[in-house]
Amino acid sequence: MSTPKQEKKVSPPRSFGWMAEYSDENDLLDACRKVRDSGYTRTDAFAPFPIHGIDEALGIKPTILPWITLCCGLTGLTGALLMEYWMNAVSYPYIISGKPFFSLPAFIPVMFECTILFSAFSTVIGMVLLNGLPKFSNPVFTNPRFDRATDDRFFLWVDSRDRYFNGDKVKSLLESTSPLSFDVVREDESSDHVPSGLWKTAAAVVLIGLIPGSAVLRMRASQSEDPRWHVFFDMDFQPKKKAQQTSTLFADNRASRPPVAGTVARGDLGSSDPYELGYTPVPLALDASPTSVRMVSLTAADDAQAAKPVEGQPPTPAKSEAAGKAETPAVPTEAAAAKKDEPAKSEETKPAATAPAAAPSAAAAPAQAGPAGAPAAEELPWVSEFPVPETDEKMMALGKLKFTTNCSVCHGAVGDGVSLVSNRATELAQGYWVQPTSLHEPRVQVQPVGKIFHTITNGRGKMGAYGNVLSAKERWAIVLYVRALQLSRDAKLEDVPEPQRAKLTAATPTAATPAAK
Amino acid sequence: MASIASTPIIDNTIDTPGRRTTLVTGNHDYGSVTRMVARISEEKQPAIWWFTFIPAVMLALTFGGCTMYLFYRGVGIWGNMSPVFWAWPIVNFVFWVGIGHAGTLISAILFIFRQNWRTSINRAAEAMTIFAVVCAGIFPGIHVGRAWLAFWLTPYPSLNLWMWPQFRSPLLWDVFAVGTYASVSLVFWYMGMIPDLATFRDRSTNKWRRMVYGILCLGWSGSSRHWMRYEKAYTILAALAAPLVLSVHTVVSFDFAVSQLPGWHTTIFPPYFVAGAIFSGFAMVVTLLVPVRAIYGLTDLITMRHLENMNKIILATGSLVGLAYATEFFIAWYSGNPYEQFTFINRAFGPYWWAYWIMVTCNVISPQLFWFRAFRTNLVYMWIVSIFVNIGMWFERFVITVTSLSRDFLPSSWGYYSPTIFDIMMLIGSFGIFFTLFCLFCRYLPVVAMSEVKGVLAIQKHAEHVRTHGHGHDHHEGLVEKRVYCEFPMTCHLRPVA
Repeated sequence: MSTPKQEKKVSPPRSFGWMAEYSDENDLLDACRKVRDSGYTRTDAFAPFPIHGIDEALGIKPTILPWITLCCGLTGLTGALLMEYWMNAVSYPYIISGKPFFSLPAFIPVMFECTILFSAFSTVIGMVLLNGLPKFSNPVFTNPRFDRATDDRFFLWVDSRDRYFNGDKVKSLLESTSPLSFDVVREDESSDHVPSGLWKTAAAVVLIGLIPGSAVLRMRASQSEDPRWHVFFDMDFQPKKKAQQTSTLFADNRASRPPVAGTVARGDLGSSDPYELGYTPVPLALDASPTSVRMVSLTAADDAQAAKPVEGQPPTPAKSEAAGKAETPAVPTEAAAAKKDEPAKSEETKPAATAPAAAPSAAAAPAQAGPAGAPAAEELPWVSEFPVPETDEKMMALGKLKFTTNCSVCHGAVGDGVSLVSNRATELAQGYWVQPTSLHEPRVQVQPVGKIFHTITNGRGKMGAYGNVLSAKERWAIVLYVRALQLSRDAKLEDVPEPQRAKLTAATPTAATPAAK
Repeated sequence: MASIASTPIIDNTIDTPGRRTTLVTGNHDYGSVTRMVARISEEKQPAIWWFTFIPAVMLALTFGGCTMYLFYRGVGIWGNMSPVFWAWPIVNFVFWVGIGHAGTLISAILFIFRQNWRTSINRAAEAMTIFAVVCAGIFPGIHVGRAWLAFWLTPYPSLNLWMWPQFRSPLLWDVFAVGTYASVSLVFWYMGMIPDLATFRDRSTNKWRRMVYGILCLGWSGSSRHWMRYEKAYTILAALAAPLVLSVHTVVSFDFAVSQLPGWHTTIFPPYFVAGAIFSGFAMVVTLLVPVRAIYGLTDLITMRHLENMNKIILATGSLVGLAYATEFFIAWYSGNPYEQFTFINRAFGPYWWAYWIMVTCNVISPQLFWFRAFRTNLVYMWIVSIFVNIGMWFERFVITVTSLSRDFLPSSWGYYSPTIFDIMMLIGSFGIFFTLFCLFCRYLPVVAMSEVKGVLAIQKHAEHVRTHGHGHDHHEGLVEKRVYCEFPMTCHLRPVA
């Protein structure tokens, strides 16, 4: 950089023409007219405020600035409309206060503001750029007298780059306009070297400014096993209790609270209805025993059901499972997992088994229609009477249809647990296959209707829940059909009403299903 | 500093028929105008500057501290409580945005209406606008709960949210309106300052000062070509800013009017809010300029006529606001809507009756004395009234926001709002920010638009010339001359007519 600087100093500064100074705007205007009449076009006047008429006096052409403003304003208008349309009607449409996705009246304010924003900025930026600004080195600045061009003096400059420029002629022309002073405009020979301190400061500011952005970008681009680094916690950490945690707020030290007695949680309106549940929840909710005991009894009942395939079921399925395990050592992980689960489940079941006995919920006991032989954990105040008409043919037909569709694939067409799916699975010797329960087992036979309904609704063991597939009416119809199947399995001729017997004896000598009409 | 203002005071508030009264008193020429304005930032500041600046900085720091505590604790430190969720933060926002209307109104609308008296006051008013909008912008920003996520208001492709802002909501219109207003006002203000910054550059004796002002003025030389484009740009900007000024408070009023709440859901809100905004903005200009012209000896530039004109606007807009209050009551009765009727009776006679009557006293009654010229031209009286108007306009927003919210449709959701110490400190602190910025503006930037005042002076000089020498024989021999109000109204020129 230093060599050209020296060269500059050696050569004499270039001349850029002549400049005359005036004390009054009218003198300047007269001089401008004279200079223009003499044919010079590369001229310029400088004034501390805009002088009207100087455009004509100097021959300055109008600017294209308004067209720039118009184009940018229209860009803002259409850009805002497209943005709003795309964001609210295409990319992320959602209904708000009943307005359409593309809601033109509601889009107008932002369109208006964007039009103004784009026009205003384009006007200012356009003005600055059309003026060739920012321009910090200008030959007119070399004359110290020119400092008054922004104060109280008026200047006229005839550029030596003009086609007809002739130094002496211009000099005499300007002299004839009676200026305060006139002088040659020289090249700006001051150093164009920006102080190094400024560069260093600017570089330091830029580098420091880059730190936060690059740190964020690095965090976004890289992976880390460390927990998230929180500047603000937002809602990631809240003073709150989760299920099963303890709390000092309540006398029983439990954070989980049961519903207040006699209230129904939002969305649970149907669940207090025995018709939807298969049992009567009222005695449980009104139970005055300590909350903890009641909670245990309630959760234990659920746990017991979850543990059912392992614990509560009669030996047949358990045996078959064990047999499956023995036959297929190829799946040890499955078996190990099952074994691991077993102790835990049995532990959970123990308090469950004792809870209803310990709970002083004697009032609930009479409502429980469970047979004496059933495990205590299954005791809920089951519905024992059909809430639907038992002798309705339509209901029975519905039950048959739904049983055949949903149940018979595993339980078999007559409910004896013999089915194509089961047979096939047994043939394949799959270790995890649990034999479907026969509905004619004595254990199932004595179950109250509510319990069978509950099993269909919530599933049991490996059987899935059908509560979300079948309506309560359809489930009760299935229970009705299952009851019919059970009755017909071991029915004797005497069980059939007198008028129907002849029909049966005529058709088949053995047992017949009354449902198979 | 007082030496400048030593010329005898001429009463320029009387308009003689057929003759324009001077807008610049004292026998000033271009150079003395420059010196009068530039010395403010070149000489040492008077003691009163420090007595204003230091308390203002302390209040601004208080505001900063309160904001930090707000971020740490959350919006619960404020008195906002169900049902009044929009309390002081929104009241302060609307109050400051309203004040921020005067500057651009003076620059844009008075420019379009060729009101040359705007030239001496527009710079300070524009600066005040910017600073008021800064104060206004802070409040909704910190009111959003998680202020560090306030940038979610802007439509940007978010990797965290995968969603876009809701353009059918007036709250988002507000973001765009206030954002556009703030940025357009800023460029308008800056563009207007470029020639004056060049004056500061050329007067500076210090190398650093020269460099800083030189960069800020972008190397402005005063070339006629530049002035031509500059005038064009200024005219376009004024034409753009005039509807913008009217739109901003309209959109702010939509925040209220688009809702269903009694007392908010009215179509009168946009014009009513705009009138109130101009009212409060002009009052704040008077509050600031009455001391500024005295402290900095600018009485020749910011003359009694300027102040009187502003007082006339205060009177007009104050009466408009009073009319709006009356219309609201009339419509509440005429609508036959019992909720609306209850709301307005409750405003005047309910638990917030005191706020309502402070508002009416300050906004409607106090400016009425401006009907009399003696009060319009009395510095002490106008300064007191301007402060009353500021207070009254704050209470107007308080009345609108809080009384409607505290009395909902259902009596079960009624409540009474009380501010906390943080509400009060942040309101006072926002004045600290405002005055800090205004003091810095007086210290470093041209307080009066020198180039525009020189233009007015040129017209004045010419008018005087014509009056003393007659029209027939002057420096343009043989040309019939006609005085023309030109595109850029601060200048006038003798244009030859065929």
